[in-house]
Amino acid sequence: MAEHQALYATDEYGRPFIILREQGRKVRTHGVEAIKQHILAAKAVANIIRTSLGPRGLDKILISPDGEITVTNDGATILSQMEVEHQIARLLVQLSKSQDDEIGDGTTGVVVLAGALLEQCEALLDRGIHPIRIADGFDRACKVAIGHLDKISDTIEFSAADTGNLFKTAMTSLGSKIVSKEHEKFARIAVEAVMTVADLDRKDVSFDLIKVDGKVGGSLADTALIKGVLIDKDMSHPQMPHTVRDARLAILTCPFEPPRPKTKHKLDITSAEEYRKLQQYEKEKFTDMIKRVKDTGANLVICQWGFDDEANHLLMQNELPAVRWVGGPEIELIAIATHGRIVPRFEDMTAAKLGKAGLVRELTFGTTRDKMLVIEECANTKTVTVFVRGSNKMIVDEAKRALHDSLCAVRNLIKDNRVVYGGGAADISSSIAVAKAADEIPSIEQYAMRAFASALDSIPLALAENSGLSPIETLTEVKSRQVNEGLSTLGIDCLGKGNPDMKEQFVYDPLISKRQQYLLATQLVRAVLKIDDVIIAGQAED
Amino acid sequence: MQRGLPMQPTVVLLKEGTDTSQGKGQLLSNISACLAISETLASTLGPRGMDKLIVNDRGEAQITNDGATILKLLEIVHPAARTLVDIARAQDAEVGDGTTSVVLLAAQLLKEVRNYIEEGVSPHIIMKGFRQAAQLAVKRIEEIQVTIDKSDSEEFRALLIKCASTSMSSKLIHSEKPFFSNMVVDAILCLDQDDLNENLIGVKKVAGGGMQDSLLIRGVAFKKTFTYAGAEQQPKLFKDPLILSLNVELELKAEKDNAEVRIDQVSDYQAIVDAEWEIIYRKLDAIEKTGAKVVLSKLPIGDLATQWFADRDIFCAGRVPASDLQRVVQAVGGSIQSTCSDIRREHLGTCGTFEEKQIGGERYNLFEECSKAKTCTLILRGGAEQFIEEVERSLHDAIMVVKRAVKNGEVVAGGGAVEMGLSAHIRKHAFSIPGKLQLVHMAFAKALEIIPRQICDNAGLDSTDILNKLRMRHANGHIWFGVDVDGPEGVRDNMEAFVWEPSLVKINAINSATEAASLILSVDETVRGPQSENPAAGPSMPPGAAQRALRGRGRGMPRR
Repeated sequence: MAEHQALYATDEYGRPFIILREQGRKVRTHGVEAIKQHILAAKAVANIIRTSLGPRGLDKILISPDGEITVTNDGATILSQMEVEHQIARLLVQLSKSQDDEIGDGTTGVVVLAGALLEQCEALLDRGIHPIRIADGFDRACKVAIGHLDKISDTIEFSAADTGNLFKTAMTSLGSKIVSKEHEKFARIAVEAVMTVADLDRKDVSFDLIKVDGKVGGSLADTALIKGVLIDKDMSHPQMPHTVRDARLAILTCPFEPPRPKTKHKLDITSAEEYRKLQQYEKEKFTDMIKRVKDTGANLVICQWGFDDEANHLLMQNELPAVRWVGGPEIELIAIATHGRIVPRFEDMTAAKLGKAGLVRELTFGTTRDKMLVIEECANTKTVTVFVRGSNKMIVDEAKRALHDSLCAVRNLIKDNRVVYGGGAADISSSIAVAKAADEIPSIEQYAMRAFASALDSIPLALAENSGLSPIETLTEVKSRQVNEGLSTLGIDCLGKGNPDMKEQFVYDPLISKRQQYLLATQLVRAVLKIDDVIIAGQAED
Repeated sequence: MQRGLPMQPTVVLLKEGTDTSQGKGQLLSNISACLAISETLASTLGPRGMDKLIVNDRGEAQITNDGATILKLLEIVHPAARTLVDIARAQDAEVGDGTTSVVLLAAQLLKEVRNYIEEGVSPHIIMKGFRQAAQLAVKRIEEIQVTIDKSDSEEFRALLIKCASTSMSSKLIHSEKPFFSNMVVDAILCLDQDDLNENLIGVKKVAGGGMQDSLLIRGVAFKKTFTYAGAEQQPKLFKDPLILSLNVELELKAEKDNAEVRIDQVSDYQAIVDAEWEIIYRKLDAIEKTGAKVVLSKLPIGDLATQWFADRDIFCAGRVPASDLQRVVQAVGGSIQSTCSDIRREHLGTCGTFEEKQIGGERYNLFEECSKAKTCTLILRGGAEQFIEEVERSLHDAIMVVKRAVKNGEVVAGGGAVEMGLSAHIRKHAFSIPGKLQLVHMAFAKALEIIPRQICDNAGLDSTDILNKLRMRHANGHIWFGVDVDGPEGVRDNMEAFVWEPSLVKINAINSATEAASLILSVDETVRGPQSENPAAGPSMPPGAAQRALRGRGRGMPRR
């Protein structure tokens, strides 16, 4: 047991004594053994999602503790739903999350790469190379690889009118997802959505303006891009008009009822006279409110709160269509889209505060009574909503995730329009470059750099494997062709199109995404290699 | 276990269950406890030092290389070993760097004199010898230290960068040394050079991105607070705005919680409602009149106020954490107001630009080009939370080192060079001392060698070989030779290689290590009170102890 205790010391009579709090329950692993354990854990995680890589990658079903089912192919989603316990494995989860946050795409690749790097470390450690020297070597190799990526990257041209290249990138990122049936449609939606909100001069795309909504029903083909706002509400009265042209929206955050003081209050009614007065007051209030709205010229009321039937009826009578119980964020979105102002009370209503929209209509779905409200042709054209349809909830959710990935991919290109070629082409090419650079280094780091080169091969290997090709044969063939013909655009022909030139197949990856993958994976590996001591406190007793 | 008392009757001196142990045995076991601790820590020293992964009983993990943090997280209960924790913490609070070295040095001092204790040398003689030797060492450092020339600002900056990168070389951010040392030096140079209050350097962490994406903001930054509908319609960019900081709730609400209004007349009803609106509108009007363009409040700013501000192109943020607001006020001037009435121009602050910006997955409010105090904020990025935390700790160390260098401006060579120099110096001096003190001085000199020795061991070099080389060089008068973990030779002139450390770090380390060793040597009896009646749980943890342990490095409650 001695080696498993966190710290162990004896006095000169051989009696052990306690140095740490609850020493007996602390577990310690130490030295190379600790590193090996970590590598094992990381490899296990990487192997789980390895099969999801590439256009022929497979999906995973994840069942949450309360029975909710997620079917996905997205690395970050799989890992975050797995509820990983192990500390090092958890680092990998955060790694893919951070790729997701920053780039939004390539979350599987980064974990596979990190796993492969760690696997290579194992062999190097067995040879007795100091872990930090391995990490140093990886750093150097990473620098070489990134430099090489810069070199082989291509600038792709696009403009607001010509989005062909963006479209191809979106296609690549959607390649592995469940939506590949409606591949083109989704890619087109992604490009159009991003281009609508993009600020091409500042190279900035605000994702806040793109809302992705989903509803079960229909098929993926019914997915549509709405240039406006979509809210899951309907008109408050069934007899109100279902479409409003040239709508002027009054956006209210107060209920359609007589205002009530917030302070606790009590009204004693002592006589019938008083009672009548109260009734009169309320009635006046209602008419007053509606009059105020009417006076501003509004022909649609969006209300954050509810209103009772009496108010509903009055609105109906006065031909004021209204929507009630619209949530705060949606209110805000509508206000932004229509250039309206949110009005907190009726006294503050003015014509200038109304929002403007060309068309507001209710959508009905099939035979269900579900209705949604679409606000289109808004004053502010820079808001879009993607409305995803699918035959079940899992597909809708997965389609949303896929769409997010491709939105990110397009956004990245707008930020930086340099690309490298996918299908493992960039990885193979970097691998060759790193291997070459390794031979020029006189110190131990040479070994680590070679290992880095082999680790880079793991992405094309996994791609080939997932596509049902014989991995080593395919990789060696592509590699030799890359070296012999000097073409860095050759990759794994996952879809069997017969042409491994990724440039011709239009398989693009944004440069910043690839770069980030290499950098993040190398950083993680350094962190793991640097740990030589693990001290785990016993779990608190319940 | 009472000694020296007559057999009958037994005098109960101590409470039942009290554990006492004393004498030489106790002293020796204290020493072994300290050694056990330092062994755990030893592998983190130097540029090839390793990290520790420490998981606490709630399953939260920390990866760190910082001596003081590790000792904190270990939750040491042994009374003598706790002394080491305390000196590490003191070193951290005082100079912020060199926490591992100080612990190693203290433990090594004890180890070297263990034999003498066993042989019966009085601890007091040893303590006296240590004290003399430490004085000698400090004097020697003061003799040989090199003063940085501050006159050439360009060069001075380059020197500071070198100091910063030495302190980072053992940390996770080693590979990004140039980037981060630039950042740290910029941060320090942002501050008021006479005061150098490092509390004015705020650190914010945003998960995601690579470490290279970290940013230095010359001003204050804090995460966007929770906002109500309407906030998106507020402008997000201002040039030279007036900034108003409040401690007022801007919401339509009951003015008194347990008050009740009795209304007799229906006509009064509306008056009450209007009165309530009137109250909030009066507040808002007063704020608008001040001309402030950015309104911050510690307390919530409700949706009504948010939309009202949006209408008037004013930016507002409610529920700003108190520490952030404090920093904003320090940076932009003005003061926090508890009322909306009678706000005059001098209560408002101003800054060059205010902007709300997307950083990674979060939005941040940035105040730049602040007029009043010089302050800056580091926004750290990283692939995982543990990364960022470790980056923060490493930067803290580097910031402290640079701060010391700016303040004092005296440096010595690192990488074990100065320790070897001192060791040689003390050894030479020892021969001139008659008596037992000579032995103690020799022990002190030997103990100093632990630093270069451990650096070699951690780097996988042959420490005996390198140490002999170093001794030879130092004997020949090359006082700045130290360990070189990269080169084939293993030794080099670290002064020329720009491995520098502020001399204050070393002086403080030697002093506190000596004091700690003396303290442990002077204890010959431990009396431990009986444990409270709580057999299973062990010593019960005071509330918040775990948090305190996690916070690390004795910085007290974070004030930012």
